[in-house]
Amino acid sequence: MSDTTLLRVEDLSVHFRSSRGVAHAVDHVSFDIKPHETLALVGETGCGKSVTARSILRLVPEPPGEYASGAVFLRNADGSESDILSSSPKEVRAIRGDRISMIFQDPGKALNPGLTIGRQLAEVFGEHRLSMLFENAEMAGSKPSRLAQRVAQQRANAFQKLLFDVTSRGASKRLQKAIDESVMDALADTGIPNPRKIMQSYPHELSGGMKQRVMIAQALACDPDLLIADEPTTALDVTIQARILELIHQMQQRRGMAILYITHDLSLVREFADRVAVMYAGRIVEMGPSADVLASPQHPYTQGLLNAIPRAATPRGELAAIPGTVPQLIEPPAQCHFATRCEFASAACRSVVPVPLTTGPGRTVACHRFDCAESLGVPADDMPVAATVKGKPSR
Amino acid sequence: MSNSTATAGIDESNQSVMSVKWTRRKEVAREVFSNPLTVLGMVIIGAFFLMALLAPLLTEPNQPDAYQSPRDWANIDSPPGIDGHVLGTDSQGGDVLYGIIWGSRLSLQLSLTVVGFTLVFGAIIGSVAAMRGGRLDNFLMRLVDVFLSIPELIFALAIAAVLGPSFRNIILALAAVFWVKYARIIRGEIIRIKQAEYVAAARVTGDSTWNIYRKDVLPNAVTPLVVQATLDMGNVVLIGATLSFIGLAQAGLTEWGAMVSAGQSGLLAGEWWVSTFAGLAIVLWALAFNLVGDGLRDVLDPKTEGR
Amino acid sequence: MTMLNNPQSTLFGGATDAVLSMRDVKVHYPVKEGLLQQVTGYVRAVDGVSLSIPRGQTLGLVGESGCGKTTLGRVISGLVAPTNGELWVDVTADDQREIDRLSALSPKEMGQADQATLKRLKESHLLGSMSREKQRQYRRNCQVVFQDAFSSLNPRQLVRDIVGRPLRVHREASGDELDEKVVELLEKVGLGRQHLLRYPHQFSGGQRQRISIARALALNPEFVVLDEPTSALDVSVQAQILNLLVELQKDMGLTYLFITHDLGVVQHMADSIAVMYLGQIAEFGPTADVFNNPLHPYTRILRDSNPTLEDDDKREKWDLSGTVPNPINPPRGCRLHPRCPVAKAECGWSVDDVLIDTERHAPVLFETITRVQRSSDFSARIEFDQAEPATQFATRVGQLSAHDALDKPVAVEGASVDMSFVEVSDAELAQMQEGRWSSCTRTQQIGALPELDSKKSQ
Repeated sequence: MSDTTLLRVEDLSVHFRSSRGVAHAVDHVSFDIKPHETLALVGETGCGKSVTARSILRLVPEPPGEYASGAVFLRNADGSESDILSSSPKEVRAIRGDRISMIFQDPGKALNPGLTIGRQLAEVFGEHRLSMLFENAEMAGSKPSRLAQRVAQQRANAFQKLLFDVTSRGASKRLQKAIDESVMDALADTGIPNPRKIMQSYPHELSGGMKQRVMIAQALACDPDLLIADEPTTALDVTIQARILELIHQMQQRRGMAILYITHDLSLVREFADRVAVMYAGRIVEMGPSADVLASPQHPYTQGLLNAIPRAATPRGELAAIPGTVPQLIEPPAQCHFATRCEFASAACRSVVPVPLTTGPGRTVACHRFDCAESLGVPADDMPVAATVKGKPSR
Repeated sequence: MSNSTATAGIDESNQSVMSVKWTRRKEVAREVFSNPLTVLGMVIIGAFFLMALLAPLLTEPNQPDAYQSPRDWANIDSPPGIDGHVLGTDSQGGDVLYGIIWGSRLSLQLSLTVVGFTLVFGAIIGSVAAMRGGRLDNFLMRLVDVFLSIPELIFALAIAAVLGPSFRNIILALAAVFWVKYARIIRGEIIRIKQAEYVAAARVTGDSTWNIYRKDVLPNAVTPLVVQATLDMGNVVLIGATLSFIGLAQAGLTEWGAMVSAGQSGLLAGEWWVSTFAGLAIVLWALAFNLVGDGLRDVLDPKTEGR
Repeated sequence: MTMLNNPQSTLFGGATDAVLSMRDVKVHYPVKEGLLQQVTGYVRAVDGVSLSIPRGQTLGLVGESGCGKTTLGRVISGLVAPTNGELWVDVTADDQREIDRLSALSPKEMGQADQATLKRLKESHLLGSMSREKQRQYRRNCQVVFQDAFSSLNPRQLVRDIVGRPLRVHREASGDELDEKVVELLEKVGLGRQHLLRYPHQFSGGQRQRISIARALALNPEFVVLDEPTSALDVSVQAQILNLLVELQKDMGLTYLFITHDLGVVQHMADSIAVMYLGQIAEFGPTADVFNNPLHPYTRILRDSNPTLEDDDKREKWDLSGTVPNPINPPRGCRLHPRCPVAKAECGWSVDDVLIDTERHAPVLFETITRVQRSSDFSARIEFDQAEPATQFATRVGQLSAHDALDKPVAVEGASVDMSFVEVSDAELAQMQEGRWSSCTRTQQIGALPELDSKKSQ
């Protein structure tokens, strides 16, 4: 494992307890993200991509969820790694927003409807950029009082704010100005044309695209190393979507952060991601550079997914639909989850869980077609039709 | 397609329509019973119901008015356990247990009548307002607002005081006050449901407004009403008891609230049994219905419905 | 405007038989404010749409949120009454030409024979003038499949009752016969007898949509309005449903109106498409033509914004600036012009455009405005609190692309500015070629889509 990796998810499994049994939402998932790169996590509803993303920040509620196995290693500034899943709540909170940030699908739900945009962002800056604020307010030298700190963090109540305002008028004014300017800069950075007006508005007064920009400003307030974007444009119109994705791309280039991009839309992957991991029923079935994977998909599911996308060229009525439905994830049998719908499925597929095999530089696929009978320990007759490329066990 | 095997299939499925519906109801019932608190509430309610229904069998009804406790002048103010009076007697020799038992009949009468009436009346007003909309809706809801601005207890008190002290007037007062709640609830539900696409789909089908109301709107709107009705079965008795405690019921009535009031003066003298047992009855009744109502609400919550 | 520009003539008018022909349909919702609920304006959800839906084909209706396509779908299916306009049902190509011709005549010009013809046509085809029986017939003939399969099925009804309801309402069948028909319909959409007595929540999204489709087919309609039928479904399920819809269309000779915002889907499914923006149709034509050779900037932008898996041509990508305008007060002239990358003077600049732009980009300056005295949408006197902001404002206007549209130079008089633009009539759809229509003012003048300026101001 190279030491340039920023985030490493290793053998992550997340289970959910329900009245019907234990659902394996994420099943032994491993991948890594390097600094500055964009990895897309693609799959349909219920494949586990959102749960995986949330697990990185430990946002999965436990119960009913539980981290059944695995670790999420984040590289620290000194080169060492720490496992987020076994860190203390305090450490995890320090990571959230600071080193890893997240934006969600529905910006309306992520913004507090009772606060103006200005106040919400002020809170974020107060939490994470205290030193910068005090520097800008020329208060750093004199070691600002507890009260000043609380005011900056927006945790002071009205009386305390009044007290601060009265006792140190100059400092209070400068602090407020510093906060407002940071917020305005952050908003202007995302292409919002009239930041002052937006700061005074409430979330419900903004359009979807505008809210998403605010959320991006909020997420990037503290310059995280990794941004997790969970379907950020699904709820937006196509023309706005294009601009928001452009914006995220720009921010990435300007700040050099990595992006984990969760989506169900393969066409977006092509335009915006360096690498892609395709998930099905809780497992990663294929991973590799996005151009390669989309041009020559290896896993039957990826192929099926690409063929199912409607295009002008496909004759009508002949979209290659994948037959069947996604299997239930409750106490799943030990086999390839896709076997029930795969045209190549054979006995081996129904009895042995496929592991990721390396089939090229940076490409892995979890399919028995790329394996051989000997390494699986099954009779040759049980194997599916072999693919043209042979895979080697990764790791 | 009309050979015998096909029609046989249909016959089977006709019978199984009912079984399908019952399966669903059983599922819901199972969920309801899985909560021990709910079950407790149901047990207590069951006990009260039995008590009320079997009152004439449990104790000899008093003549001429069964709702006046028989006076045992030899044993006034006697503590529980003396001379066959299991729960003691009041200052006029009235048997406390007798009062509790026959009081349960009154409680049942009170709650069923009031809730029954207010549920139906409130639902009708609310439905008309929501389905018609416009000015009628505006007017009716302002009316409801006026009612809601007055606290229930004070309002009922005022009405009962004006009408004169009698049990029947308590019923009337409570009915006049409680209906607005249901109107408001069902109106909110209907307005929400009207937006749903399945209502639009029914309109495209060409069905009449009445049918749409009956088949699409109402069945999906009743859930919160059921929950509220259950809770109100308890609340009505609570407020009714308060009114009769103040003296708005007839004197000497075997009504729990009146009993609490009658036993008040004896409390300082150490004669606790009258007020306590009557008060306990009130509390248990209200508590039981609240438990069941809460349990129902948890189960019937639309978020968990439809999985 | 050199091209044929008859606002009354409908798209496709006279080309093929139509299941429905709409003329100048408008849906305006009043905005009521204040204690007495005064009407202060109208939300123009649909603002003058004339469209014919050709029999036996799939017409795609594309646009983003707020463009009015869903409202239009509801007007067609009878859920919403139009504020204005005519809906002609089941008209042949000849009938449409007649209607076009007769509508263009003023009452004085119409002879006895013409009046009789018009009356006859109205009584047999115009919604609102037809007999109750005929109207019922149309409503039966036009069915809808909605987007969200979960909320379009009553959660408390069995599948049998949901799908059988149209039959029951129109008294076509009952009892066992009804059940048999429902089974037939279920089998047609890929479900089976075993699904008859289940509740909606027991099905997956794709299956629920199939139930929805089965319900729509119950009365053997000719015309089905599909309102975003696959938008809420996964890609692989969507493929199954789209294939099913195509198969059903072939088997039953259905006409589809396919409303969607997904360009990939509409390119695959539709024979011809109409692109909507802010309540009006921007462009219309055969699908492949419209996408490969768009004649309206909005279509070009939609196409360019749409991420695809194809190898995109390296031509420049157009994009939309600003945000969606207020539907109560849409821009004059062409509605797209404040956001259009190729808008020029003739596109309809007005006082409001400048004011909105100032508010967005120079908010401090905007706050110094004390009063706006309008003599029309195109000319006004704007008063500031001092002379200096007035001059700043005038300079600013000079730098906007709008300044080409000025009637006369901006005049600064003390602390007020007089501004007057050339009055431009609102953009109309015009036929560019056989079967191709566009409402872009510049396209109509040039004869093709304008080129992007390499040097762009603003």
